[in-house]
Amino acid sequence: MEGRPEEESELFSRAQRGETAAYEEIVRRYQQLAFRTAYVITGSATEAEDAAQDGFVKAFRALDRFRPGAPPRPWLLRIVANEARNRVRSTQRRLGLELRLAEGFRPGDAAPSPEAASVAAEDRGRLLGLVNGLGEQDRLVIASRYFLELSGAETAATLGIPEGTVKSRLSRALARLRARYEEPPGA
Amino acid sequence: MLELEQELTALGAALEWPPTPNLAPRIGSHLRAPSGAIHVPTWWGGRSRWALAAAAVVIALAALAIYPPSREAIANWVNVHTSFQQVPHLATPSPQPPGPLGQRLGLGGITTLPDAQKQLTWHITVPSSLGQPDEVYLQPAPDAPALGEITLVYATRPGIPVAGQTGVSVLITEARGAVDQNFFGKMMGPGTTLEPVTVAGHQGYWIAGPLNEFFFTDASGGVRSDTVRLAANTLILDDGGTIVRVEGNLTKSQSLELATSLG
Repeated sequence: MEGRPEEESELFSRAQRGETAAYEEIVRRYQQLAFRTAYVITGSATEAEDAAQDGFVKAFRALDRFRPGAPPRPWLLRIVANEARNRVRSTQRRLGLELRLAEGFRPGDAAPSPEAASVAAEDRGRLLGLVNGLGEQDRLVIASRYFLELSGAETAATLGIPEGTVKSRLSRALARLRARYEEPPGA
Repeated sequence: MLELEQELTALGAALEWPPTPNLAPRIGSHLRAPSGAIHVPTWWGGRSRWALAAAAVVIALAALAIYPPSREAIANWVNVHTSFQQVPHLATPSPQPPGPLGQRLGLGGITTLPDAQKQLTWHITVPSSLGQPDEVYLQPAPDAPALGEITLVYATRPGIPVAGQTGVSVLITEARGAVDQNFFGKMMGPGTTLEPVTVAGHQGYWIAGPLNEFFFTDASGGVRSDTVRLAANTLILDDGGTIVRVEGNLTKSQSLELATSLG
C-alpha cells in the first residue's frame, strides 16, 4: 500500500517536523518489508520483530539526516538490517531460515491440474531446500533479490555492501545454486 | 530473466512468511509518550516490556483465580510496572431484562454511530454483512479521544444463534491499540483454541471457545484489560491499528466473512 512518491515525501517531511502520526504511517507502510528483511537475516521471527521495532525507533531519531526526496526504502532497510545483524552478532548464532511454502495457490493463479500442482510444489520445495542449504552469503543475497524483491541498491543497503559486490555475489550464488539444481534429485 | 531466476521469483511468491507484527501503533505510542523522549527498547522496554507486562498479567490472573476479592489490589500492584486499566463491566445478565440489550453488559453509555464518531479520533468500522447495529455504546475518554472504546450490539441475525439469555447475537468492540497473543492467549480455558488468521491483509486471531479476559495495549501504551461479554467464540482483528473484537456464536467462516465486510 505504498503511496505516490510525493505522498511519501510529504510524509517524511511531516515526520521530520516531529509529527508522530506521519511517522506511524511510514512504519505502517514499511513494517512488513522491514520485518521480513530482518527475518531473512536473523532466521527468527522474535529477533526480527525486535530488530524491526528498534530499527524504526532509531530511524525516527535519525530523521534529520534523511535527505528530502531520497528514496526511503534503502535508508530504512539499512537501519533495520543493521539492527538485525547486530542481534545476530550479539547472540553469536544465526538460526536457519525457516521459510516454508504456503499451502494452496494464491488468488489469481490459474487453476492447475492436480498432477501439475503436485509437480510444481515438489519443484519449489526442492529449490527452497537448495537455497536454504547454501552458504549464508549466497542465501542472503538470493533471498534479498528474489524473495524480498529488493532492487540492487536496496540489497546493497540491506547487506551493507557496495552495489557492485551485490552483482558479483549474486552471480556466484546463482551459479552454485544452478549447479545443484541441475543435478538429478538424490544424486 | 533466466529460467532459474524466474523460478526463484515464483518461489518467493509462494513462501509462507511469519505474520508481520503491527509495529506502527506500538512505535507511535512510544513516540507520543508524555516524557517526550523516544523510548529505545531495552531490557525494560520494547518487546521486553511486553514480556514483562505479560508476565505480570499471568501472575495477576493466577492470584485472581486464588483470591478473587484481591482483584483491585492486584491491578494496583501491576500498575507499579505498567499502566494497567480495567474497563468496568458487569457479569453476563441472566435472565434478559427489559430495556436496551447492552445496558447490563457494562458497555458504556448508549449512543448513536454519528454521535460516537464525533467523540472518537479514528474511524468506526461497521460490517456491511450485518447491517446497522441495533444499539451502540461508547466508553469515552474525554481527555484522550484516542482511548475511547465503542461497542456495536446486534440482536437477532439470521443464521447466528443468540448468546445465552443476553438477547445478543453479535458484539463488536473497537478501540485503538495493538494486540499480542501472548497476552490473551494465557486467558483461554481448557478446550479453547487460538488460531492466527489474516483478513484482507490484517492480522488477527480466531479463538474457538470462551475467552474470559482480553488484554491489549491501548493507544497510550498502557495495558488494558477488558472482559469478554459473551461466552462464545471470538475473532480479534488488528484493522490498521484499530483492534476489532467480534464476539458471538459464529463459526470461523461466519466470523471471517463478517470481518471481510468491515468498512
